[in-house]
Amino acid sequence: MKIKEEKEGEVLICRLEGEININTSPELRKSFDRMMRDNEKKVIVEFSGISYIDSSGLATLIEMYQRLKRNGGRLRLCSMTQKVRDIFEITKLTKLFEIFPNLTEALEGF
Amino acid sequence: MEISEKIPSLLERIPPFILEIIKKIKSLGISEEELFNVRLSLEEALVNAVKHGNKMDAGLVVEVYLKVNSDKLIIEVKDQGEGFDFKNLDDPTKEENIKKTRGRGIFLIKNLMDEVRFKEGGSRIIMTKYFKREAKL
Repeated sequence: MKIKEEKEGEVLICRLEGEININTSPELRKSFDRMMRDNEKKVIVEFSGISYIDSSGLATLIEMYQRLKRNGGRLRLCSMTQKVRDIFEITKLTKLFEIFPNLTEALEGF
Repeated sequence: MEISEKIPSLLERIPPFILEIIKKIKSLGISEEELFNVRLSLEEALVNAVKHGNKMDAGLVVEVYLKVNSDKLIIEVKDQGEGFDFKNLDDPTKEENIKKTRGRGIFLIKNLMDEVRFKEGGSRIIMTKYFKREAKL
């Protein structure tokens, strides 16, 4: 999995590419650890390059959501492919996360 | 088509093993959506078997048996653990569980496969997917 980060004002955009599975979730967790150390408060995870996510990936995102919230920050997710979105729908994580159809909308009012 | 394999209880072996399996069954004309669902279910079952069944003991193995007919695919995953209380699993979609980082694996399997059964106290899971159209065998 590739992880690219870019800053747009106060917002950190984390673009993911590839698959989030039991082998790649730890890489994602490491990136999130660094973001927390850097005291990032507004993070958008961009999913357009993600074709697969499993429960370890969902757990890593929930962890990040909780950590940011405790630190007074917020997490937004955007640009999911239909199949990845389906996994969030099935697990009802659409109720927990702020999910946007694209990056432009995710950035609006953040 | 029938596949019978044993893999050691190492998490890093799971994704490459699954990709090999998916490569073999992809040629049967199964839809992308069905492949995604089968792949995710197999991964969740294998991770459970390695982590919770065999408790990450690399000396223990996980047995995988897969059978594809023209109308369905059956996958069995068996670990060497003592099983678990599969009749009393928390619903991860409930308000009190939604922020928990565990407990979504079997829930996903039950939603992505058409039939799920447990045997041998839960140490064997049997998952069935019925194809929307017949597979090319």
